[in-house]
Amino acid sequence: MALLKGTLDVLVLKTLSWTPMHAFEITTWIEERSTGRLVVEDAALLQALHRMEERQLIAAEWGVTKNGRRARYYRLTTSGRAHLRAESERLVDHFDALTTVLAARKTTP
Amino acid sequence: MRFDLRPGVRRLFRLPLRTTRSVYADVDEELDALIESRIDALVAHGLSYADARAEAVRRLGANLDTVRDQLHHSAELRERRMRFQDYLRDLMSDLRYAARGLARRPAFTAVAVLTLAIGIGATTTIFSAVNAMLLRPLPYERPDELMKLSLVTPTVGDKIGSDQMVWSYPKYTVFRDAQQSFSEVALFASRPTVLTSGDVERLTAESVGATYLRTLGVKPIVGRDFDRSIDAHPGAPRELILGYSLWHRRFNADPNVVGQTLAVDRQTYTIIGVTPRNFKGLSGQGEFFIPVTVMSVEDLNQPQSHFLTLIARRKAGVSPQQAEAATIVLGKRVAEAFPDRMARGTWSAHSMPLDDARVAPLIKRSLLILFGAVGFVLLIACVNVANLQLGRASGRRREIAVRMAIGAGRGRLVRLLLAESMLLSMIGGAIGLMIAWFGARALSAVNPAVTARAGRSTIGAINFALIHLDWTALAFTFAIVLTVGLLFGLAPALRTTRSSLSNALKEGDGDRKGALVSAFSGRRLLVVLEVALAMVLLAGSGLMLRSLTKLLATDTGFDAENVLTLRITVPEGGMARDSLPGFYQQLTERLRSVPGVSSAGLGGCAPLSGGCNITLLTFPGQPEPDFAHRPVTAVNFVSPDFFPALRVPLKRGRLITDADRAGGAKVVLISEAGARTLWPNEDAVGKRVKIGQGGFDKGDGAEIVGVVGDVRQWADSAGRTEVYLPFAQSPRTGAIVFVRSSRDAASLGPEIRRAIHEIAPSFPIYDMQTMENRAVGATAQARFSAELLGLFAFSALSLAVIGLYGVMSLAVTARTREIGIRIALGADHGRVQRLVVREGVALVGAGAAIGVAGALVCTRLLQTLLFDLSPSDPATYVGIVALLGAAAVTASWIPARRASRVDPVVALRAD
Repeated sequence: MALLKGTLDVLVLKTLSWTPMHAFEITTWIEERSTGRLVVEDAALLQALHRMEERQLIAAEWGVTKNGRRARYYRLTTSGRAHLRAESERLVDHFDALTTVLAARKTTP
Repeated sequence: MRFDLRPGVRRLFRLPLRTTRSVYADVDEELDALIESRIDALVAHGLSYADARAEAVRRLGANLDTVRDQLHHSAELRERRMRFQDYLRDLMSDLRYAARGLARRPAFTAVAVLTLAIGIGATTTIFSAVNAMLLRPLPYERPDELMKLSLVTPTVGDKIGSDQMVWSYPKYTVFRDAQQSFSEVALFASRPTVLTSGDVERLTAESVGATYLRTLGVKPIVGRDFDRSIDAHPGAPRELILGYSLWHRRFNADPNVVGQTLAVDRQTYTIIGVTPRNFKGLSGQGEFFIPVTVMSVEDLNQPQSHFLTLIARRKAGVSPQQAEAATIVLGKRVAEAFPDRMARGTWSAHSMPLDDARVAPLIKRSLLILFGAVGFVLLIACVNVANLQLGRASGRRREIAVRMAIGAGRGRLVRLLLAESMLLSMIGGAIGLMIAWFGARALSAVNPAVTARAGRSTIGAINFALIHLDWTALAFTFAIVLTVGLLFGLAPALRTTRSSLSNALKEGDGDRKGALVSAFSGRRLLVVLEVALAMVLLAGSGLMLRSLTKLLATDTGFDAENVLTLRITVPEGGMARDSLPGFYQQLTERLRSVPGVSSAGLGGCAPLSGGCNITLLTFPGQPEPDFAHRPVTAVNFVSPDFFPALRVPLKRGRLITDADRAGGAKVVLISEAGARTLWPNEDAVGKRVKIGQGGFDKGDGAEIVGVVGDVRQWADSAGRTEVYLPFAQSPRTGAIVFVRSSRDAASLGPEIRRAIHEIAPSFPIYDMQTMENRAVGATAQARFSAELLGLFAFSALSLAVIGLYGVMSLAVTARTREIGIRIALGADHGRVQRLVVREGVALVGAGAAIGVAGALVCTRLLQTLLFDLSPSDPATYVGIVALLGAAAVTASWIPARRASRVDPVVALRAD
């Protein structure tokens, strides 16, 4: 299932709220948590990471993976955490409303 | 822990500048790492390497190269934006740091800010004045083409002729009709008028020709200009053009004002137009403009009635020299047509650029001297800023070294130091702006008497009211001070960054002392320079102030205290000439009945105002001496109470009484100086004289019945010949009323006004002021220059003292160890203090010596401005040097006291 527009940023922020990760860890984490239902394109993920780094929602630092590979680790900043809270509330609310509307049935008298 | 550093900080210390290449490399590495990680994961799940790689690229979502390009591009953008954000953040933190630093050293900050503010504020103020009054082009169309034409009167004996004589109407027409060098010739004359419709009011108008506004290039904003035909001959229609402020005031800026009427001196004029805002004629006082040709033929066609100022616009292609040559030729023709009445010599004419007549030479000189003085203040301010920055910089050597040691780059350090200089300059500049704003406002409010009285040959349109804050000057001085601050703040700092780190860090005595000593000797030179500059200014202002005191202390010959003065005018046609004496009699009697009033006298001119007419004086029955040797006298028309009102003493004979009426025997009084000059060894009382005014030259003239004390006509004039004619024997339509009372003169105004209104409701009363105020006006010019110069000199002295204090403080700090040893070896407090003070006095002595030499040269410029004082007046110089000496001792005594309190144990242990 492709990702809905605008949800990638929140997903990435949510992921990073657990612990700092590099790009591959993030995509794997999202796939596993959504039991494979959400798949992120790698190019889109990298773009999103750069975009959020510029907005200072996340910060990056080179580190070394368990496999001894150099990787760019991202972590959530204070303003990123605030952004995540606001955005996820908005999204949940949005989907709740969506669900209510879509779940409505014709009532038979 | 690896995430603790902010990106900005990391950038600062580890990767100060990221090149595009390194940004791309980061992107590539991250992209590759992602793909590799995925391949690793897929291989771990059992895929072959080739399959795993294909899958990884597929998961990318697009072609690998496209993705790479996109990421490069977005990373570059991001990097640029973040770098700017970092820069702003750094700047803010630098400024915050600088502000904290300045707040920690309030003395340094206050002194630096004050120095900057005074330098910037004072220079801007004076430059604003110089620009408005001397530099800015005249506010008319193509002002460089405008010329002023004057008649030249013949030089007779030792009486030098004037080359700024005004014209009579017949002479003007001869010139106008013959000339070919000018595209327009125009005339104007100030004319005091009384508006007799609505509120009676006295106003100054200008009598002009039809070409007046056209020559200046001024076009009416409402209605039209005068028709050219009005210049043809006397007897023009009664039309006038309103000035902008009068249009607003009396007609509420009514756009349909054209066609309405205004009664001027009981004649009805039709309004035909309105001049633009800010145009008050070349006199600077014209509230409206009426044709000179409304005068009758008899009044206008008087060849010897000189009252018109001529201006002209050069034709294109005619140089000023050609215009001058043509004017001289035409001047001959005018002189042939109207030869000198007394055949004293030949008149001629000449021209000069109107711009040369913009302000009187005296004003120009005062302004230029003030400009020079303020230049000195700016110079001293710069020296002081340099001095302060040097001191500050040498105190920071260690801090800079520490910063470099922990990895701060040079650029970053420079920015840190810049931040402090900028912050100081901003605060100093803001206060300087305020000073300049208030200064320009104060200057624009300078008593117009200063310009009006300074010279008749100049146009009044250029005056102090034009002065407003000059932003160019502000920007210019600000830039100068900023540059000086930066140069002297940065240079030592940069030298520190070059020098070996370990040396600076070691704080070893040798190196530290060396640096201090070199900075210190530079600062000593600056202090010597500062003191020398201040000395020149102090000498100048000291001379001006002494001259002013002398001026104020001179005996004016009358008592101005508790005297209220006012002018009253009988409007033209308002009263028959014969009834004037009766009216004035009634007026003075009515004024005497006001409670508190002891005497009320009339006069034709007020003392210290220079307004008395000058005329020839001859002796009946004696052959007339040739013109050059005929005595002249000032003439005043007075009522009997003039003398008690001003307390002018009677020396011999009697005063004028009410019995000296029109028709009776003509009598005059003479001033003591006049009596002494004309009859050195005889009694003047009883002598007969003819006076060329008021009909006192008819028959066998008038008898001198008394001698009165000398009254000064100008603030700086000596006693001279002046005669007093009885008002009743030669009544005037206008008079100055002098009212002496036992109360405060100023509070008497409304009552006096009411009293006059009772008997003469339609006669305008104006120019009401205390006699003391008039006396102050007489010295306004001298006061103006002396006070401003004094202010600058005070600023200069303060700045020099501050500079000296700074240097002495540093010297004491640098010598703490040595002083400690001295004290340990038994030097007492007094000895240590003398050691320090002696050094300060030596610095000031050197500066003062140079300064005195400079002052002796510079103050020669003041010669013409000084009253009864030589520019090298020894008493002034002694006083100034004493003042500087006292300041020097004070400025070094404070650090000296600190030095004498040095605890030898602490001082010796310090290193």
